[in-house]
Amino acid sequence: MTQTSTRPRRLSPAEVRARLGEPEAMVKAKIQDRIDEHFRLFIAHSPFLTMATADAEGRADCSPRGDYPGFVKVLDDRTLAIPDRPGNKIADSFRNLAENDGIGLLFLIPGLRETLRVNGHAYPTDDPGVLARTQIEAKEPVLAIVVEVAEAYFHCGRALIRSRLWDPASQALADEIPSVGEIAAAQFGMDFDPMAITQALEESYRKLY
Amino acid sequence: MQQTIVDQIEPVADDVVSLVLRGATGPLAPWEPGAHVDLTLPNWLTRQYSLCGDPADRESYRVAVRYDRLSRGGSEYIHRFLRRGRALDVSLPRNHFPLLPAPEYLFLAGGIGITPILPMLRAAAASDVPVSLVYVGQSVASMPFADGLRSAYGERVRIVATRQQGRPDLAALGSALNPGAVVYACGPGPMLTAAEAAFPAGRLYAERFRPAPRSFAPNTEFEAVCARSGRTVQVPADESLLDVLTHAGYAVPSGCREGVCGSCELTVLDGEPEHRDEIGALAGRVYACVSRALSPRLVVDL
Repeated sequence: MTQTSTRPRRLSPAEVRARLGEPEAMVKAKIQDRIDEHFRLFIAHSPFLTMATADAEGRADCSPRGDYPGFVKVLDDRTLAIPDRPGNKIADSFRNLAENDGIGLLFLIPGLRETLRVNGHAYPTDDPGVLARTQIEAKEPVLAIVVEVAEAYFHCGRALIRSRLWDPASQALADEIPSVGEIAAAQFGMDFDPMAITQALEESYRKLY
Repeated sequence: MQQTIVDQIEPVADDVVSLVLRGATGPLAPWEPGAHVDLTLPNWLTRQYSLCGDPADRESYRVAVRYDRLSRGGSEYIHRFLRRGRALDVSLPRNHFPLLPAPEYLFLAGGIGITPILPMLRAAAASDVPVSLVYVGQSVASMPFADGLRSAYGERVRIVATRQQGRPDLAALGSALNPGAVVYACGPGPMLTAAEAAFPAGRLYAERFRPAPRSFAPNTEFEAVCARSGRTVQVPADESLLDVLTHAGYAVPSGCREGVCGSCELTVLDGEPEHRDEIGALAGRVYACVSRALSPRLVVDL
């Protein structure tokens, strides 16, 4: 099964609105244009976020960012800084931001159902004052992403409740997934040794900064 | 590790809060003036603070924390988010700045550097030898415990607010130092550098918050032999001994990673360490975060 014979029906925005109904006034009112004390507290305790960007043509990308809680620094009530830790060096997010500075962030706190959404515009920096504040284990990142906040709001917990995301029993799901080595070996379809790939990956995980 | 509860958190000067940490399960480990502890904060960061309370109080520890505008997440967390009642893990006290017997003491404190000096001053004054304190800060409002010090020690305390009075003449203090008197200094780097120039080397004991800028010979690769576990790891020129050991799976404690706090101390069994720490490693010890090796092999007790 690689493709459905007919594409699923595409709805217009009006049709979508007709099916969902109107949002409550409260929901719209909760959108703030700055990082207030509540959001600041949330960011100070969040060790993980997803970061969505897109290029000039609208080709979109979403990547995970994680570190100690509060790794995203609130420079002022309209500005955040996200350190760029060593990763795969593909730099999709930076390439996208160079063409299109729109950015969407979703902050998570383990155990908490509500999430924080922050949208705005972003650019890369190597500002020494910013990098110094994101130092960890005596190492500074080479780059950071500065986010100029346009919108910030709490997102209700239904998705996390339905997904049982923080329920320890949910971790049994991970056992159903083969090792990255096995998947990669199958995808590359060549003589890759799954154990060697997994071991190399585990080795690289030991050095996080 | 010791479990404590934040019993009190209150401002004691501009941008400085004092924390009282009460033992959650009974008396806390004893300590001597000059000691510091690691606090593990709710955001997983570990930070070192000098104990500034009374060593006779076994129920609680006291520390004071200045808000750093370029906070890497420690002081900012404590000032903005830490609340009374929060549980905090605190290490056993360590002391790299012990108060040694002397016929006379001059204490020199800069700003938040007053913290280790406070219990030292109390202990020295109680021993009936001449003591004096020169306490330097930008303004009196920015200097924690200044009022209490003046009322407790009167003329023996000189408060110097540099915005109004300029910096104290350390050279004059140095030449007026009585024979046998020793100097204990804690404060920002430039103040300690000035103190090193002003006081005779053998009579000055100093503790830094951050390492002094120094230059070292270029890093070279060396071999770390872990004698107890029988493993040998290569330490490349661009990695620290601490990082290599940690990546190899050894649980070496770490704190400041700047050679200041002393948490990553290892015992050296053979080979010649190249000490780059600020603590002054004892013979047979090395601080793995910054120090390296002059010999091609360094055998450590791991």
